[in-house]
Amino acid sequence: MFKWSKVLFAGLLSTATLVPAVQSFAAEAKPTVIRLASPLVGSGSRPVGYGNFYSTTQTLGLLEKEFQKDGIKVQWNNFKGAGPAINESYANGLVDITWLGDLPALIGKASRLDTKLILAGGTHDNTYLVVAPGSSAKSWADLKGKRIGFFRGTSVHLALNQIIKKHGLTEKDFRFVNVDGPVGYSALASGDLDALFTNQSIFPVTDRGVAKLIYSSKKEPAQYQSSGYILVNSKFEQKYPEVVQRVVNVLVKQAAWDSNPANKTELFKIWSKSGLSYNTFVRANDGVDLKRHSAPILDAFNVAVIKKKLKAGQDLKLIRGNIDVDSWIEPKYVNNALKTLNLQNYWKPLNANGQ
Amino acid sequence: MKQYFKQGATVLTLLSASIGLTHADADVGQLQQQVSQLEQSLKQLKTQLAQIQNQNEAVTEATTADEAELSADAETESDDDQSFVTRAELQGLQSDLENYKYQVQRDRDTKTALSTRQLLINGVVQAKASYIDEAQRTPPTGTNTGMAVQDRHSSFDLGAVQIGFIGNLYKDYEEGKNLDFNLRFGTSPQTGTNNSYLNLLDAQLTYHVLPTLSADTGRLSVTLGQQLLPFGQEVQATEDLKPTINNALFSLPGLGYGLALREVGLIVRGDALPTVDYGYNYRSPMISYAFGLVNGNGANKSDDNDDKNFIGRLRYTLPAEYNSWLRELSFGLSWYQGKSNLFEIDGTSAAFAGKGDVLRKGFDIYYNHHPFGVTYEYVQGEDDTYISQTAQTYKRESESHTGTLFWNFGEQFVKGFRNQGRYDDWWPKSYQAFYRYDTIDRDKNLADQTVDIHSLGLNAFFAETTKFQINLNHVNNDITNKSYNELVAQFQYGF
Repeated sequence: MFKWSKVLFAGLLSTATLVPAVQSFAAEAKPTVIRLASPLVGSGSRPVGYGNFYSTTQTLGLLEKEFQKDGIKVQWNNFKGAGPAINESYANGLVDITWLGDLPALIGKASRLDTKLILAGGTHDNTYLVVAPGSSAKSWADLKGKRIGFFRGTSVHLALNQIIKKHGLTEKDFRFVNVDGPVGYSALASGDLDALFTNQSIFPVTDRGVAKLIYSSKKEPAQYQSSGYILVNSKFEQKYPEVVQRVVNVLVKQAAWDSNPANKTELFKIWSKSGLSYNTFVRANDGVDLKRHSAPILDAFNVAVIKKKLKAGQDLKLIRGNIDVDSWIEPKYVNNALKTLNLQNYWKPLNANGQ
Repeated sequence: MKQYFKQGATVLTLLSASIGLTHADADVGQLQQQVSQLEQSLKQLKTQLAQIQNQNEAVTEATTADEAELSADAETESDDDQSFVTRAELQGLQSDLENYKYQVQRDRDTKTALSTRQLLINGVVQAKASYIDEAQRTPPTGTNTGMAVQDRHSSFDLGAVQIGFIGNLYKDYEEGKNLDFNLRFGTSPQTGTNNSYLNLLDAQLTYHVLPTLSADTGRLSVTLGQQLLPFGQEVQATEDLKPTINNALFSLPGLGYGLALREVGLIVRGDALPTVDYGYNYRSPMISYAFGLVNGNGANKSDDNDDKNFIGRLRYTLPAEYNSWLRELSFGLSWYQGKSNLFEIDGTSAAFAGKGDVLRKGFDIYYNHHPFGVTYEYVQGEDDTYISQTAQTYKRESESHTGTLFWNFGEQFVKGFRNQGRYDDWWPKSYQAFYRYDTIDRDKNLADQTVDIHSLGLNAFFAETTKFQINLNHVNNDITNKSYNELVAQFQYGF
């Protein structure tokens, strides 16, 4: 009878080993599915992002249209756990192409996630510090020793640590609490938090009178602002470069549309399908150069910002390990897309100093 | 709005001035000049008002300290043509709000379960069918036919059926030193009876001694009441997390040590030196521990002697970041020691015969790296048993090994992935294949005291709290000198 059990055990092991092996040796020219992920989730858990051309592409279903004729399924995953959840999924091989905020993208790469950075996915995004309406706090210094909520591990985390450092403060000067957006809003309203540091999704809350804005990063240098990047799983990229190129072509075309000031009203209406009000995007993008914000190009300026953020993250001990940024970046897809779409001169490349 | 007030105030001031002027003792020319100025002012104000109305210009009050920095936001608002609402829209909103308040209050009064404190009601139900290729036969004992089973091969059963209430008695917003409770009842089929009593399983109170708000710090909690023992892995796993339908032999009463039965006592649990990888929202303490004193007499019973049994567990997890092959590799040691009453049984009467030692020592390894995982538990037991007044107490030595290898297909086992924003009631369909080898030697000093079970199984997760399990067990029981195969299919749902 023991032999019988051995047969069973061997059978299980063989099955378990063979299934992934068969999968890995199946050299298909096209994938059956493209698994995309976004850290942005709309109100009421709706899978609608906002604020960048990657989200616009999702909302308009442009990749579905692109790959419909090939029978390739496009699977969108909008993670409530934001950037950390995307890193977790990369680590387990569950996503192919994603938008990821600066800090989680850098942490992931520094911890040896096998990704390539193929597009800038939106720069000059701003962060905001809000307090309860009755608070007398008017600056960072007024909040010393107070409870400030923010979502650890997201791009907001890196922005926060850099900004307080600029104001001559450190993490030890505050009592930081790890909260995501909705939890943070209710905690601020109930008095469990003294302040909340978050992104543009705060505007509907300030409009309701639950929070009062006391700081915005709009006047800060780009490295203190938030940015996002489009990453691709290296294995997927090596296996399906043509598919990656087609995805990038669609994204770059949409980035150009997002960049056009004539489309601003329509763009904000698309983003407001996330449940955030139209006015949120009007306010968040006031004073923001949308064309530069949506520029997908990996010019010297964008690369320099990535390097500065890496250095800042390492100095603040948020990022362990190092990254060879130049080898992480793979600009060929965006460059090909610019040629294909005849957009070579649409976004002006800037030098490392932003000139 | 402020500008409206200013403009209104200006008009009123000017009007007041004009009224005053009519009573003033001034010459007509001067009055005409002043009236002309007033008319001019009024005209300007009307023009400004018309401009304001035409442009729907919003006005905000800068309430921030850094007004210069934030003035851009205020200016943007003035560009927004959606800043005003009409009276009808406002009334509509008020009406909606009143209706909503009424509905909430009415539902609360008539359709809402209430509790004095925060409460989460949860439960598990298992319905299963089985087939055994060896006929099960238990002859009647005397006139007692309740236990009799006549050549049974197949059966429908309910496995665990549990309902639980967990909640919070005191919430510490400052540091998270909360006081929590857990109350759980469960039932299982009683052999030979159609009564299926709802027994008390968990009844405990937990106080978190150390702050719980930050992931970077260690945890420490004290639990008082009836609870699961922190011994090994399987004993502490809840029904929804166990891969197999049948529990490991060592954890059960009868052939095993009954460690899965609850005991009443006080147990301290905690961890230290956590590895926190915020880039993956991952926390893994290097050391986790538990120790405490329990009755040693099982659940729902007072202690049967004055000796309290000690339970202790220490687990070491390799300090690895999330994206590491060494993630979730841990080694544990468990220890349970105490005394139990011994009896001298003479025919139909029994008498106390002192106390005997009870000792359980456990070692376990856990490695869970999606998509596969391996677990192994070794338990060694020593039980003093009474023989006779003249003979020494016999120390029965036993041991068990339980190893499980599982392979996952699907995404539900990745925490971040399954927590998504979706329109529908989405859940990633997942499958888990496993093999388990479970053996126990009831008495190492005697022959033919071993029971082996090889299990091959598949779990299909097709909704958030629902799974279908199918297990093929091959049982080799040296005690009864029987070998047989068992096919068990189980549908489990939770809520």
